[in-house]
Amino acid sequence: MDLVTDSVTNALVFLADNLFGQVPLLIGLITLAGLLLQRKPVEDVVGGALRAAVGVVILFIGVEVFTGGLEGFQAVLADAVGAAPPAADRSLGDFLGSHGGTIALVLTLAFLAHVVLVRLFTAARYLYLTGHLMFWISTIVVAALVTAAPGAGRPTLVLCGAGVVAAYWTLQPVWMRPLMLRVMPEDRFGFAHTSSLICLLTGWAGRAFGRLEARSTEQLVLPRRLSFFKDVNVSTALVVSVLLLGAVAAAGPDTAADRAAEMDPGLSPWVWALLVGLRFAGGIAILLFGVRMFLAEIVPAFKGLSDRVIPGTRPALDAPTVFPAAPAAVMLGFVAATAVFLLLLGLFAAAGWFTLIPPMIMLFFVGGSAAVFGNAVAGWPGAVLGGALTGVVLAVGQALTWGLLAGTAPELATLADPDWYAIAWLIAGMRPLIGGAAIWAIPVVALVTTVAVLLALGRRERRTAGERTPATESEQG
Amino acid sequence: MDRTLEVLTVCGVGMGSSLMLKVTAEDALRALDLPARVEATDVSSARGMRADVVIGQELHTAELGDLAPIVVTITDFLDVDGLASALHERLAAHGLLP
Repeated sequence: MDLVTDSVTNALVFLADNLFGQVPLLIGLITLAGLLLQRKPVEDVVGGALRAAVGVVILFIGVEVFTGGLEGFQAVLADAVGAAPPAADRSLGDFLGSHGGTIALVLTLAFLAHVVLVRLFTAARYLYLTGHLMFWISTIVVAALVTAAPGAGRPTLVLCGAGVVAAYWTLQPVWMRPLMLRVMPEDRFGFAHTSSLICLLTGWAGRAFGRLEARSTEQLVLPRRLSFFKDVNVSTALVVSVLLLGAVAAAGPDTAADRAAEMDPGLSPWVWALLVGLRFAGGIAILLFGVRMFLAEIVPAFKGLSDRVIPGTRPALDAPTVFPAAPAAVMLGFVAATAVFLLLLGLFAAAGWFTLIPPMIMLFFVGGSAAVFGNAVAGWPGAVLGGALTGVVLAVGQALTWGLLAGTAPELATLADPDWYAIAWLIAGMRPLIGGAAIWAIPVVALVTTVAVLLALGRRERRTAGERTPATESEQG
Repeated sequence: MDRTLEVLTVCGVGMGSSLMLKVTAEDALRALDLPARVEATDVSSARGMRADVVIGQELHTAELGDLAPIVVTITDFLDVDGLASALHERLAAHGLLP
């Protein structure tokens, strides 16, 4: 019998080391399973699985380049203002290397649990389909769980993580529903984006400005010269390079010159600043390219699966799907968010508190979404408010959360949307309770809350339907 | 047209709404019975690519005007019928329908 136990153990260890620890292979296999389940032709199955695996490899390379650019940026900017660069024990690259398999399993299991929840409760209504955020939310949840319970094993992390993530995907489009109905009254799809909390805050605070009347952003004419800014590759390269050039001007002459010489002997610090800005933007572009490559295979597979299991469910989609409702608000929100963020960057640096990194992608998508909802509630003042709140939350969130994740993947703090910060801090807030088995409290609380909310909503909807009044927009999510 | 139609769907970073648009575009092209290959990408990458048709929201298509012979601007990411009729009209005008 010992022989059997030994060989089973050996097989499990082999699988853990060589499959669940090797993310490209694991994602490739998950994609393969998804495509086979949909009975795709063999060329699609082979091509899709390999593209997904290559995508993950590219993602890892992008993370390395991005982290390198980030480090140079922080070092020189911190020196320029006489502060210490943010400390970190580990990096996102290490974290994805050691926990990538766990993240892939959380993503898959959470999606299945989410499908079950939507199938069981009519009030859940929306299926979460924003693929890249499905990946990143799984990542931040695993990072927060590892921070809260460093000793937890992979099965515990996978099950706890999947519970929290499934609860979030199920509830987030539901709590955004009342605001969504103001922007997209047809209710054909939900809003699935991790900017949701800042959108809710904007919608709530925007009411202070009074009724919309004739103040919609869509009556404004915005200067066309701003348009190149909405290409996030361009705005990232530009903003980070300009900040670095300023930092080189302010920093001690040796720091920048040393850094430049490290890259290439004889390189001017000014050219170095420009190259690091470009490299930083390049790293993010590579990272996103990798994510795009594996998502292009996984998302249609997920959609195919859910269409079969729960036909007729409304999808919840990425933030840009609401942008056509108010394109001018999007630009206004982005500009306001960036202005406020850069202002805080200067203030935090002057105070020696933290060296912020301008997250142009998040400033665009979160600032843009918050502004669309702000505009729907209060016109252009609401849009500006949404952008400004985004700038504040992203700046403060980044500064606070970097330290929280210093032992896992601090760079996640610079790639984060508002909901990531909330989730990370909620899980870390359970830390005093965490010790061994207490980590299970997190998914249990999340799932019980989800079911309770869905039951209550379902009951109210049936009652409203019984009174023969159509669902009103004022109902709370 | 005797070859596969090359179609690009674009959005800001090329993996959220453009991916959803890709699914919608594939449904629309299937409804028109046109053989096509649809790829989702971001606006920066799109500039270096070739396609017969580019589909995106106005925020982006306004700057991608000369990238492809046909640029379709959408406001509804799930409207298969609307996209199909827009594509049918534009493809016919360019003599790209069989």
